[in-house]
Amino acid sequence: MFFVFVISGAVTQPLAETLTHLRVGNQTFLIKFYQENRNLFARWARRQHQLEPAAAHELLRTVLVEFYDQVADGRLTKLPPDLRAYVYGMAAQNRQTTQTETDILPAAEAGRRRRLLGLFTQLTTDCQQVLMFFYFRGYNFEKVAGKMGFANATVARLQKSGCLRRLYDLHLRTQQAASPAGS
Amino acid sequence: MTPPIDLRPYLDELERFADGQMSESEQAAFELRMEQDEQLSAAYEAYERFTADLRWVAGHETLRHRLIGLDKRLDQRQQALTRIQRRRRRTQVRWTVVAGVLAVLLGLGIWLWLRPHTMSPDEAWTYYYTPEPGLSKAATRKKGNTLLSEAMLQYRNGQYPEALQTMRRISEAGLSPDSLYYYTGVVLLRQGDAAAARSYLVRASRQPGSALTGKALYHLGMAQWRTGLLPQAQTTLRTVAADSRNPYQRQARKLLRTKLLQPQP
Repeated sequence: MFFVFVISGAVTQPLAETLTHLRVGNQTFLIKFYQENRNLFARWARRQHQLEPAAAHELLRTVLVEFYDQVADGRLTKLPPDLRAYVYGMAAQNRQTTQTETDILPAAEAGRRRRLLGLFTQLTTDCQQVLMFFYFRGYNFEKVAGKMGFANATVARLQKSGCLRRLYDLHLRTQQAASPAGS
Repeated sequence: MTPPIDLRPYLDELERFADGQMSESEQAAFELRMEQDEQLSAAYEAYERFTADLRWVAGHETLRHRLIGLDKRLDQRQQALTRIQRRRRRTQVRWTVVAGVLAVLLGLGIWLWLRPHTMSPDEAWTYYYTPEPGLSKAATRKKGNTLLSEAMLQYRNGQYPEALQTMRRISEAGLSPDSLYYYTGVVLLRQGDAAAARSYLVRASRQPGSALTGKALYHLGMAQWRTGLLPQAQTTLRTVAADSRNPYQRQARKLLRTKLLQPQP
């Protein structure tokens, strides 16, 4: 059986293939979705939630990243037949959550990753970039050096190593703070 | 609660192993050690979990950054498009205004050009009447009459009453009757006494064999028009207009083409 779904009535892509691409880190699908639906979504958000375009765009970005997280986590195993309706539903839910709760309450299974995400954002921009290139994009040290403007692959390896240690130190400190009886 | 494993003592080795930086022999030795050393094995598991989480975080952040970058590009494109559209609209408006103003000016010009314009009698007189230029100094010298020279000088200078006085001092013996009647008539006409001018010009036009007959007829026709004798003026000027040798033929035709000589209802 061949599943096909429609994004903004123009682009078609096999369902299973889209999920696989997202799981292996090919985010092109979501980038394209954002590009094609940004203005449409902003109009909807203005009508439904009285949001200014900039806030609506931010909401759509947040929702798409959350959607990606769901796929990457394995929380979403089946792509919804109408992705746009699903994304709009997530946005509406996000708005309600924002309006009723002040704190973000991460799901228990994603707590560890959420905490690490919080620590990751404390790193310098260069460190974040190096770790994203290496651990997500899968670039080798030579390519990381080229992208970051480092002298050579060894410099890139040392930089990546240093950044990983900084992140781990932050992670360890948080863990130790959470369980003072340990260590 | 189990205390978290501190990876720091193992981190160098684990990283080199995971990143494929070990030589074959080093890797084999490390794998053997992991089988035998529970602490190292547990550290490896913790490291793998940590890097798996980091991969998730890196993916999350990569998408977030890519979307923000795309958003900026789309905003810039939108702003550029808006700027272009605004400029285009402004140019259109400017050209519309210019075209509108031009159309109004053109319309106004056409209306001014074509509007029915009725001249006042004085305006029509000034526009259609071509006065006698008067005799030049050389011409009067040729005639040998000093009073005529003086009268013509006064006429050319616009001193019509003085010119008339001087003309009256000229005796009939000193100047041919046609010249006397003609110049007296044109001076009177210039002075604004068309009724008086008429009788002199009639006489001038009737002098047999005179070279001034044609010119006298024109000024007579004009004097008749000026005094309201429209049918007579029409007849006189038609004669002038029909005479190809008359120096005022063109002027007479021009006046006849208008409705000014037709009796007003």
